[in-house]
Amino acid sequence: MTEQGPGGAGRGGVAEAVVEQRGRISIVWLIPLVAVLVAGFVAWRAFSERGPAIRISFKSAEGLDAGKTLIKYKDVQVGLVETVTLMPDLSGVVAEARMVKDSDRWLTEKTTFWIVKPRIAGGQVSGLGTLLSGSYIGMDPVLDAKKAREFVGLEVPPIVTTSEPGRYFVLRSDRAGAVSVGSPVLFRQIQVGQVVSSELDPKDDFVTTRIFVHAPYDDRVRVDSRFWNASGIQASLGANGVKIDTGSLVSILIGGISFDSPHGEEAAVAAADAQFPLYENMQAAEERHYTNTVTWQLYFDQSVRGLAVGAPVEFRGIPIGEVTDVRIEFDRLSHRFRIPVRIEIEPGRFTSEEVTPEQRKQSVDALVAAGLRAQLKTGNLLTGQLIVALDIFPDAKPAQVVWTTPIPEFPTIPTPLEEVTANLTRIVDRLGKLPIEQIGEDLKGSLAALKVTLQKSQDVGPALKDTLEKANNALASANALIAPGSPTTAELQRALLSLSDAARSLGLAADQIQAQPNSLIFGKKGSN
Amino acid sequence: MSAAAPATALAAGLANCHECGLLAQLRAAGHGARCPRCGAELHLRKPRSLERTWALVIAAAICYVPANVLPVMAVTSLGKTEADTIMSGVIYFLTSGDWPLAIIIFTASIFVPMMKLAILLFLLISVHRRSSWRPVDRTRMYRLTEAIGRWSMVDIYVVTIMVALVRLGNLATIEAGWGAVFFGAVVVITIFAAESFDPRLIWDESEARST
Repeated sequence: MTEQGPGGAGRGGVAEAVVEQRGRISIVWLIPLVAVLVAGFVAWRAFSERGPAIRISFKSAEGLDAGKTLIKYKDVQVGLVETVTLMPDLSGVVAEARMVKDSDRWLTEKTTFWIVKPRIAGGQVSGLGTLLSGSYIGMDPVLDAKKAREFVGLEVPPIVTTSEPGRYFVLRSDRAGAVSVGSPVLFRQIQVGQVVSSELDPKDDFVTTRIFVHAPYDDRVRVDSRFWNASGIQASLGANGVKIDTGSLVSILIGGISFDSPHGEEAAVAAADAQFPLYENMQAAEERHYTNTVTWQLYFDQSVRGLAVGAPVEFRGIPIGEVTDVRIEFDRLSHRFRIPVRIEIEPGRFTSEEVTPEQRKQSVDALVAAGLRAQLKTGNLLTGQLIVALDIFPDAKPAQVVWTTPIPEFPTIPTPLEEVTANLTRIVDRLGKLPIEQIGEDLKGSLAALKVTLQKSQDVGPALKDTLEKANNALASANALIAPGSPTTAELQRALLSLSDAARSLGLAADQIQAQPNSLIFGKKGSN
Repeated sequence: MSAAAPATALAAGLANCHECGLLAQLRAAGHGARCPRCGAELHLRKPRSLERTWALVIAAAICYVPANVLPVMAVTSLGKTEADTIMSGVIYFLTSGDWPLAIIIFTASIFVPMMKLAILLFLLISVHRRSSWRPVDRTRMYRLTEAIGRWSMVDIYVVTIMVALVRLGNLATIEAGWGAVFFGAVVVITIFAAESFDPRLIWDESEARST
């Protein structure tokens, strides 16, 4: 730096004072140096705290503000949205965010992001804090996966974050019932988990419901656990009377799934992502552990009023199956209505061995030959519900199972009441056929003849009396003849005594002859 | 022009004492001159004027970058924190319809500091190049720089007052950002830079040429 006064000579020969300071560097240069240092430090700090930049795509930027919306995990700021731009095809928005330093590890393919805003769903209110603070982006980091920088944001927050201990299970059912995402999963009516998703299986028409059971309750799910829909209020009026099932208030409102393990700790703990059937209600879950069913067709000629689908099939009062279908068929050929009742028998209820169809056919035929029949019985007198009862009627009319139809036909016999009615009808019919008038006429004639006979018999009276008197006399004399003390008797006694003496002498003689056979010729020895 | 050349103190070797105003004849020895009356240091031109000005202008230019990049003020209102840089504040007021306010902030905080830096740079370069181009206008520019320099502090005042006033805990809190520090530094440093610049240097060249 040079500053020189212009010119070399002053006016009037006065030596000029030249303001000139050279050499040392002015201390003022410390100022830009300090500025550089401070600015450099700030810049270095800002730069060193910069984490990776990521891109998250969302369907809508609702709640997103460039430069303001934070990315938080467990309420700790881990990033900041820097820009929000539309996708080129306008199908959504892309938020570019700057994460904090060292966040590389969390940013993996499985890491999910979602916008946290106030929500009322699944019986829970969430994100209320964002009413005041504004929305933020929630994050669920997954550590062990491939690193990623581009993410697709979730439209709804995940029910369960990956950091929560527990297990997922898959339930399959033919309809979703009242279960929705967020519905509670109950064990003995205590909430132990939540429904995570509920969707149609892409392969078939079943509904796949994913649930998450929190630790430590996830060990309660055993391989034999049964899940049922515990939604709302279930009321049923069946042969067993009125039945109402309810779960907790929450499950009444938003549905729920209950489970129980019939064998408790004996069964092995179910693995994560194990599949289970989801039954419609508790009853179904309890009953339906016989997966093997045999279908039969029954034809009843009587009214099936009171027989509903689901009515039990009992053998001597023990349920062994249920009615699955009741219909009516018109047979064009015979112009008759027939009522086919389809029943499902669960053989597992009465036998544990697996049998081949041949063996089954054999044993069923034998049983039917022994008199096994199906009949309708009143299950509930109050409601008039009918059940199908199986029993052995040894004196039933012979019948056979029809195996040729698609569903084998099982023989039936009429209801006891119906049988009585039928017999009575038959008797009345026969009575109606009797020739009562003719019988009356004949009877009248016979009675007249009888009367004449009787009148005639009146004349016989006196003679009869005479005869009787005579007979009486005869008997009296006979009586006198044999009366004790009568001469006849005395004589008879005497005669008998002599006969007795004679007999004794004869005995003596016989002895003599035996001892001395020669006495017959030489006479008695010793008596001489 | 030499005939019309006015007599200057520099040419006469005369210097005015800055403190007591005594006019003194400087001796040949350029430095170390003192006022015979009050003892203050006498010099014909501000010593090291250009060097100082350069240093300060460069420092101000360095500080100007973080002053605009970093947030000046962080407003936390109901749990929601918004950090604004100067420019984002201007854009905010502009988009929210307060364009007079936006113009004021823009002028005071962006336009004026930039203009000051530009003018000082221009003056420095022109003096270095011994330019004799329109000295009157250049002096006018210098005067303008000196006059408006302090008005840039409006921003800093606003920030400091707001920070002091708005302390409502979770409801609303305002905190000064690093940008404000750098911005304050820019304003102060440019004021010093303008101060350290000796406008007489503008004229020296034209004087020299005219002699």
